[in-house]
Amino acid sequence: MTEGNRLATGGRIDRSKPLHFTFNGKPYTGFRGDTLASALLANGVRLTARSFKYHRPRGIVGAGVEEPATLVELMGDDASGNRPATTVPLTEGLAAKAVNCWPSLAFDIGAVNQLASRFIPAGFYYKTFKWPNWHFYERPIRKAAGLAAAPSEPPAKGHYETRYGHCDVLIAGTGPAGLMAALTAARAGLRVMIADEGSEAGGSLLSRRLTIGGVDAMDWVAKAVAELAALPNVTHLQNATVWGYREHNYLMVAERAPANPSLLERTWRVRAGHVITATGAIERGLVFGNNDRPGVMLASAVQSYVNRYGVAPGKRAVVFTDNNSAYSVAADLVAAGVEVRAIVDSRDAVPDEARAIVPGIEIMAGKCVTEAQGTRQIRSVAVAAKTGGSARILSCNLLAMSGGWNPTVHLWSQSRSTLRYDDPLASFLPDAPAQAVSAAGAANGALTLQDALRSGAEAAAKIASVQPPAIPDAPDLPYAMEPLWRVETAKGKAFLDLQNDVTVDDIHLALREGYSNVEHVKRYTTGGMGFDQGKTGNINIIGTVALAQGLAMEQVGTTTFRAPYTPVSFGAIGGLREGTVALPYRHTPITEWNLAQGAFMYEAGARWRRPGYFPRAGEGLQEATNRECRAVRFGVGVYDGSPLGTFELKGRDVGRFLDYLYSNVMSSLKPGNGRYGLMLSDDGLIMDDGVCFRLDEHRWIISTSTGHADAINGHMEEMLQTRFPGWNVFITTVTSQWNNATICGPKAREVMAALGTDIDLSPEAFPFMTVRDGTVAGLPARVVRVSFTGELSFEVNVAPRHMRALWAKVMEAGAPFGILPVGSEASHVLRVEKGFLSLGHEVDGTVDAYDLGMGWAMSKKKPDYLGKRAVAIRREAGGPRRELVGVIPEPDRQIPEGAPLTPGGRREKTEGFVTACVWSVVHERWVGLALLDNGHARHGETAHVRLKGGEVIPVRVTAPCHYDPDGDKLRS
Amino acid sequence: MPYDMTFKRLETQALLDLKGPQEALAAWAGNALPPFPDRPNSKTEAGGVTLMFIGPDHWLLRADLDHEAPLETALRPAEAPPEISLVRVSDTLAWFRITGPDAAEVMAVACPMDLHESRFGPEAASFTEAFALRALVTHCKGGFDVAVEQSFGPMVTDCLARITA
Repeated sequence: MTEGNRLATGGRIDRSKPLHFTFNGKPYTGFRGDTLASALLANGVRLTARSFKYHRPRGIVGAGVEEPATLVELMGDDASGNRPATTVPLTEGLAAKAVNCWPSLAFDIGAVNQLASRFIPAGFYYKTFKWPNWHFYERPIRKAAGLAAAPSEPPAKGHYETRYGHCDVLIAGTGPAGLMAALTAARAGLRVMIADEGSEAGGSLLSRRLTIGGVDAMDWVAKAVAELAALPNVTHLQNATVWGYREHNYLMVAERAPANPSLLERTWRVRAGHVITATGAIERGLVFGNNDRPGVMLASAVQSYVNRYGVAPGKRAVVFTDNNSAYSVAADLVAAGVEVRAIVDSRDAVPDEARAIVPGIEIMAGKCVTEAQGTRQIRSVAVAAKTGGSARILSCNLLAMSGGWNPTVHLWSQSRSTLRYDDPLASFLPDAPAQAVSAAGAANGALTLQDALRSGAEAAAKIASVQPPAIPDAPDLPYAMEPLWRVETAKGKAFLDLQNDVTVDDIHLALREGYSNVEHVKRYTTGGMGFDQGKTGNINIIGTVALAQGLAMEQVGTTTFRAPYTPVSFGAIGGLREGTVALPYRHTPITEWNLAQGAFMYEAGARWRRPGYFPRAGEGLQEATNRECRAVRFGVGVYDGSPLGTFELKGRDVGRFLDYLYSNVMSSLKPGNGRYGLMLSDDGLIMDDGVCFRLDEHRWIISTSTGHADAINGHMEEMLQTRFPGWNVFITTVTSQWNNATICGPKAREVMAALGTDIDLSPEAFPFMTVRDGTVAGLPARVVRVSFTGELSFEVNVAPRHMRALWAKVMEAGAPFGILPVGSEASHVLRVEKGFLSLGHEVDGTVDAYDLGMGWAMSKKKPDYLGKRAVAIRREAGGPRRELVGVIPEPDRQIPEGAPLTPGGRREKTEGFVTACVWSVVHERWVGLALLDNGHARHGETAHVRLKGGEVIPVRVTAPCHYDPDGDKLRS
Repeated sequence: MPYDMTFKRLETQALLDLKGPQEALAAWAGNALPPFPDRPNSKTEAGGVTLMFIGPDHWLLRADLDHEAPLETALRPAEAPPEISLVRVSDTLAWFRITGPDAAEVMAVACPMDLHESRFGPEAASFTEAFALRALVTHCKGGFDVAVEQSFGPMVTDCLARITA
């Protein structure tokens, strides 16, 4: 298709680089430098979208991020949804389609909503779809009102990245104010980062025909960019939107086209010493009947298409304005050969300097466009006096409208800085900063070029503590606006928020129904919501509310501007954290060996990936676990116990410190001996359990559960720093200084002997709960007699650099004894058989040591320890406690962990729950543990598990320990 | 092209965790230690041994692994008085060396701290965060050394490989 609306010359496109693309399956051509929107306009495509709610025909309205109407879905390698066509750079082979229309853009079934529009005003969802419940209707409504679907697959090539950035000053925007600020700050030696959402620097200058210092403004831009590029203290990003402003000057920047070609997009997380928001201003539309018809565009966008892209968006234009800025648009249209029928100016008096630049164009002062006529394309406009009266019809296929300019205060507002309403500009402007932030240029109300340059220079000079530079001469029309919030109109819907299909009538309805606060108006009507965030419509909504309520604008106030300023890819937020590194993971040196053995791995606390079990061919979880359990109970097994938290404590006061942390006495331990203990929290509940060994007079080593290692470390430090700051205790984390292979089972001592060690392994010389340093298999080792399985165990600790060698030697030495590696599943079974507690199972945040039958661990000798008083107070209160018991299902069957126990199995309040149920290789049946009301007094009774659905399973209540209750085996 | 950098996981480094008053440590260590750094988050070097000031009354001694035994012999951790603590922690950290023209760019992906030379000079050494993990960062010739808890070593390798893919 030919580009019928492309001007013969001009624009910043590269006419030597034609590009081919499709829109709704139809082929078109454009040029490098085009956006999808400019290329569509060049090809004469006027109908480009259907509206969100009413499916009204829509065209292109803006030229940048403010575009509220034409959202497209990109396909193929560029797959993404809901992209404003004005922000999609044209590339070879680009394939795009309109969203929210079916079966086609031209013939959209959803357009029937227009016929029923009076029955579906704002808020009708809330009133209508209440019975039986909202979710009954949710899916079809979302489908009907939906936008593009998210891509089903991630991009085939490249990856996303997030990175950090730091600077003395971050400048958002490379328009005249931003560039002037960057030059000033960078010349003063500050570390400057300047980021701009556009594909090239210049901001509004890209679209206007102005001069700076007597030269073309874009020549000045090019010179400024070159100077900045030559400075090592400047980071300049284009295609990079500063989209979020957090506390402590922490800002998010989405870079959409990083120089690194392997990157799709990149998020910068920037910590800035100071921020300058030089984000420009966004033109607002005017509110009249059918102001959404294709061909009704923002005047600034029209100017941009003409001057930047070499496109005439129409052949015959009318300009409708309430300020001077649209006059230069009219002049540029005429220069481009477009017929300008008239300038309709709502002001009664048009300044002479504005009239001077549009000689020969009819100026209709004190008049308004009351209605746009045409359906799929504007054909004409009705023009009447502001005060009413008969209308004159002007035929046209382009209406360029300017309702004034809104300083882009989104970032400023996100920083929690305040806004004030400015009457002369009829806009909200930055007021008091809440962080180290300044506003400059049009974003601060400096709406002429010279003022914008001066504003940028002064903002940066203040930060850098230097004198602002001389500002070059930059002639521009004064702004001179008189706000026109709405035009009284009898025909057609008058839209305030095109993206959300919010009309003047919707606002009036909200007000009539009592939603008078602007925040309520926003939520009731959805005006200003979504990713548009009210860029073009917000202030018109506020103006409409003010008019209807007879309030001043500042009395109505603004809604909250939220991040992101423009849509950001989820990928760019997540960055590198995908696939295997979506979450942190930890390995021990044996992980590779485990994987080579076919171990089933999963996370088992504190991000450690551990083997659950080691299945052999044909085995499932249960068979493999049974085999591993039998090895430990009747032969020998070995597990990698490295992830247990381990800390070395040193100092004169370690003994009394441990006495305070643990519920039992540790200070009485002799060097070389250890003790199991419980750590309680302030409220007397069990926080952790572990063992504590004394290495010498002033050195101790303690172990914690894997999952709580970091928490216990923090807990100990907090105790030292807040309660005992004068105590001589040093804590060093040595979890990863010691890996261990724990050899357990009746044949463990034989395997230890086969490994070769200089430690006397006899029970007399090396009894249970003692520690010895020596060599094992020729490796320096620390061996601990501690058991978490109930069997004879030797925990052989070595430095990780030796762990693989140790493991290989253990497997080799243990082979004649049938040694097997043991995973977490078997460890769980073995501890349940033994009645050992497990955090998260039996220790559920409600029980104390007495409940678990471990009153022996609650010292009666110590005057105080953490949690003692809380336990005493709670138990003095009396009342039933849930106490740990063993349970034997009768009949023999598995019970799901967590299954409730109810009196008689009836549907009543529970009296406990099953904490664990495993197949016991010792008893050849299912056994379990439970927390049961008054459980200690109910041994021998029958309790009842009630499953979901009402099935009842009787269980015999026993002591918790199902195996070797006297501990003969583990002490052997 | 991707980042112009290389990374490698270093062999285990000899590390001793030192805690306690500087005077007491200096008195116990004699001349076995480099001079104590005078600023937190900085380091000194002498004889192939680096002393990093990583917290209040807290230092980390780093050297190649073949220095481990001589250092332990000289410093006698197990015999040190209770006023100070010396603990061998060589195996607790996995070290990565990131070098090349784009080393700082890669570090900016990993680490939220400002590593610009004006803020983090050649003498700097600090615990911070890398790949959302607690990490020790310091300069090396042509780049940075980054150490994380040893068990996270494979994950950091994974992350660096992704960055350079």
